[in-house]
Amino acid sequence: MTTVSPTTSVDASTSPLRPAQVRARWKRQASRAVGYAALLVAAAGILLPFVWMVISSLKENNQVFTVPLQWIPDPVVWQNYIDIWAKSDMVTWIKNTLILSVSVTFLQVLTGSFAAYGFSKMRFPGRDALFLLYVATIAVPWQAYMIPQFVMLSNIGLSNTLWSILALQTFSAFGVFLMKQYYESIPESLSEAARIDGMSEYGIWRRIILPLSTPAIASLTLLTFVNTWNDYLGPLIYLRSPELWTLQLGLQTFVGQYNAEHALIMAGSVISVLPIAVIFLLGQKFFVRGIATTGVKG
Amino acid sequence: MATIAVDDRSSGASGPSPAAPPGPRRRRPGSRLKLRNTLIGWSFILPNFLGFGLLTLIPVVTLFYLSLTEWNVFGGAEFIGLDNYTRMIGDTSYHTALFNTIYYSAVHIPATLVASLGLALLLNRKLRGVAFFRTVAFFPYITSIVAIAVVWNMLFSPEYGPINQFLTFLGVDDPPGWTTSADSSMPAVIIVGVWREMGYYMLLLLAGLQTVPGELYEAARVDGAGAWGRFWNVTLPCLRPTMFFVTVILTINSLKVFDLILVMTDGGPGQSTLVLSQFIYSKGFEENQFGYASAVAVTLFFICIAVTIFQFFWNRRKDA
Amino acid sequence: MKRTIPTAAGAAAAVVLALTACSGGTADEAGGGGGDDTAAPAEDEAVTLSLAGWSLSTTPEFQTLADAFHEENPNVTVELQEYDASEYDTQMTADLAAGSAPDMYVLKNLKNFWTYYDGAQLLDVSDVTAELDPATGGADFYEVDGASWAVPYRQDSWFLYYNQDLFDEAGVDAPDGSWTWDDYVTAAQDVTEGLGDSDALGAYQHSWQSVVQGFALAQSEGAELTSGDFGYLEPFYDRAVELQDSDAQVDFGTVTTNQLTYQAQFGTQQAAMMPMGSWYVATLLAQQESGDADEFNWGMAPIPQVDSSTTGMDATPVTFGDPTGLGINPAIDEAKVDAAKEFLAFAAGEGGADALAAIGITPALLSDGVVDTYFGLDGVPGDELSQFAFATHDTRPENPVDPDTAALQNILGDTHSEIMSESSSVADAIAGAEDRAASEVG
Repeated sequence: MTTVSPTTSVDASTSPLRPAQVRARWKRQASRAVGYAALLVAAAGILLPFVWMVISSLKENNQVFTVPLQWIPDPVVWQNYIDIWAKSDMVTWIKNTLILSVSVTFLQVLTGSFAAYGFSKMRFPGRDALFLLYVATIAVPWQAYMIPQFVMLSNIGLSNTLWSILALQTFSAFGVFLMKQYYESIPESLSEAARIDGMSEYGIWRRIILPLSTPAIASLTLLTFVNTWNDYLGPLIYLRSPELWTLQLGLQTFVGQYNAEHALIMAGSVISVLPIAVIFLLGQKFFVRGIATTGVKG
Repeated sequence: MATIAVDDRSSGASGPSPAAPPGPRRRRPGSRLKLRNTLIGWSFILPNFLGFGLLTLIPVVTLFYLSLTEWNVFGGAEFIGLDNYTRMIGDTSYHTALFNTIYYSAVHIPATLVASLGLALLLNRKLRGVAFFRTVAFFPYITSIVAIAVVWNMLFSPEYGPINQFLTFLGVDDPPGWTTSADSSMPAVIIVGVWREMGYYMLLLLAGLQTVPGELYEAARVDGAGAWGRFWNVTLPCLRPTMFFVTVILTINSLKVFDLILVMTDGGPGQSTLVLSQFIYSKGFEENQFGYASAVAVTLFFICIAVTIFQFFWNRRKDA
Repeated sequence: MKRTIPTAAGAAAAVVLALTACSGGTADEAGGGGGDDTAAPAEDEAVTLSLAGWSLSTTPEFQTLADAFHEENPNVTVELQEYDASEYDTQMTADLAAGSAPDMYVLKNLKNFWTYYDGAQLLDVSDVTAELDPATGGADFYEVDGASWAVPYRQDSWFLYYNQDLFDEAGVDAPDGSWTWDDYVTAAQDVTEGLGDSDALGAYQHSWQSVVQGFALAQSEGAELTSGDFGYLEPFYDRAVELQDSDAQVDFGTVTTNQLTYQAQFGTQQAAMMPMGSWYVATLLAQQESGDADEFNWGMAPIPQVDSSTTGMDATPVTFGDPTGLGINPAIDEAKVDAAKEFLAFAAGEGGADALAAIGITPALLSDGVVDTYFGLDGVPGDELSQFAFATHDTRPENPVDPDTAALQNILGDTHSEIMSESSSVADAIAGAEDRAASEVG
């Protein structure tokens, strides 16, 4: 598997190749082709449910769930994609979802990475216990305490406002935990050096640690964004007014008591997945080895 | 050998030892500095802690109290001591749910860990189109769960499904009924669970892999370490903080598994895939026994905590 | 901090009534009156009530009732507050607990009635119930301890839908109201055989536990859910298993794993017969109109019976069905209670029944006039058997009101999937359910 590694294939060999070298090169390229083919097949397999979503979104409603599965829609109902904008308030839903996802992600990354610095780089009594408390709450299933939480937030007038979701999602222990673990792998020597230079702890966080944790921030950003974007139970419990609905909640309105518009739901789901896919495609380029580790040569 | 190099590097280069008080402020080295550190530490944590404490901690503490009561959501909760907990001892459905949850986690956790780590290593290379493949790997996590259930159930279909056709082709006489049979529904759900979540954990591991210093690989290579040796002696040790995070989160999420099972099998056939989260939901919202549901949630909490603390100390021992 | 008043927001849910479930032109008229709030301020004692409903854009019944009531009582405006159709009870539980629920709310199913009653979230409406027409179906289901806590405004009951075209094609006699369950199984097998290579099968029974258990509980002599003795289920499950084993019906595993919908199965002629609730009439008509369902000749027949003592057009067939009720939130403003009770009386009475029948919904009160309105709708099969099936039945509750009902139904739900997936034998699964009922409930 290591043969795929590009570093080994830097053949700047100027001398004419000997037959053995040619054979080795062929072998390498063949194995690389096989590797790519395997990857592509795996990718197609992984995408199968998504493909089914797209196909279903182009079907008539009663053709979505059939035995055996029907892979080619007949007729192809492009109309679903027009209907979903016409029949529902997609613009509002997308707007609300976007507002929530962006602001939750921003605040979560900000407060999470800030708190993580306290947990990871500062030493004070009670730190570890407090941290364990954070992690512990992740272990409690939300279904179990959502009613007490809802009553509480209702009493301070937050239910049925977008603020409720913001409050709910922003301060998750997940972000603190993720950032803290990442900070632990940033060598202490860097902050130490800055301290000697007279930099304050806030400065160290802002100027040194934060820029060095780009990959962690990228993954926290992506995951928080996706989780907020796809959250269903939170908005379900807290948001009632149609003008506050998020995409996931809105799509549920195609499920009536006795009937469901499955084709429209699938069309809506496809529309809902696309922005995430694009953001991911753009965001994943931040997963590159940062100077955090290459620049620690002392 | 390479692991030692990491430690050398991080502490050796820093000049004065970390214990020495920094710079000019050297008045009363002991308590004043401690207080200062505590205050600064808290100032970092506070913005998040305010929201966290108010919105999560208080309801969670309430939950612990509610587990000692009989409560139907609307009225006041009646304190009944440990009755809910003693009830669990004789509740066979609870036992089933507990067993299934542990079964699910015991297989799902290692399988997901291996799959996501493999993916992360594979997609951490400079491949052509790596952005595409990373996005694809993440897709199961963002695909509609209904679509996942339908397509996987189709793949698992006992008679027509490609999986069983393949098994028959391999010479398996009596391929499993997967989600339609009580004997094989749990493995089926676990397979889909791994498939769905491997991209999620891959993303976290991918971030962690960026912290592995490149020169360590070179040093290892110079030392004559093979691919496996480099993985074992360089990658894994450097990845440990991330691995700790991933295993803890993975453990908790597996023990709390809910929506996937709800859509795939709804706990069936019979009670063969009933898990604790679902049990909690149905006791609470369907049967309106929130006190009992809270108590079950508390037991789930303690299981998670026990495993997490074990992981915590394991991690610390490895660190030392 | 400012406490938001949810009703104001609920009112913003401008309901588009053009999407009524029925194809008849009458419905559009009923929903046409949108400018209803203009009159309200002029009245001396204008009252605004809030009412919970779900999926308002596709479920016109709430707006229909609100409009019809407002027409009779111009000083009272009923505003709707929207909820999710599938998670209605979860949302309502949260809202009631937090004190943000509307003045009146719908009891979507009888199974959850106990939760609301037991939690003291329903106002005593015995005086409203006392005034109701004694023929109102299901009114007594809401009585506990000699008082009544809600009124039924619609009551769907189950009957047998059949596809006349498929029966003709198979050369089998269509249901005539004289069938027992054994006749039904035989007919399903005959039709399947008669249709030969066609994809269509004799019957489709959806994956819900009620499709088997609802009838078993309603029709079996001495059957009682709360007794914890479930032996009465056995013959019904034997037949259900036989039906799928003889391939006269899609097997349970296929139904659940492919998430088959009953609307598609019957509507696109995959099955010649289907036991289903009366709500499906409106759905089928709407789907035929939209093209989701095929056009074919269909009818309704009384549901098959256990034995011939209740079959035939001169007897009253026994079936099941839970009413949908309306209750009043005890947190309602004292001054509004009378208006709310008036609304309940209207919804459960002749006025509400007629308005509902006009949009294809089965009201709890089935007077002759209401039945005429219903069968006057475009597309509803008007033959005698269909009329008989619709109007004549002894409907027993699927979820008899009791503290243990929800827990017992959950146990029996597991039993259902256990039997239908053929993971255990019928007898073993039922014995297991009885054990669980004894140890976990009560």
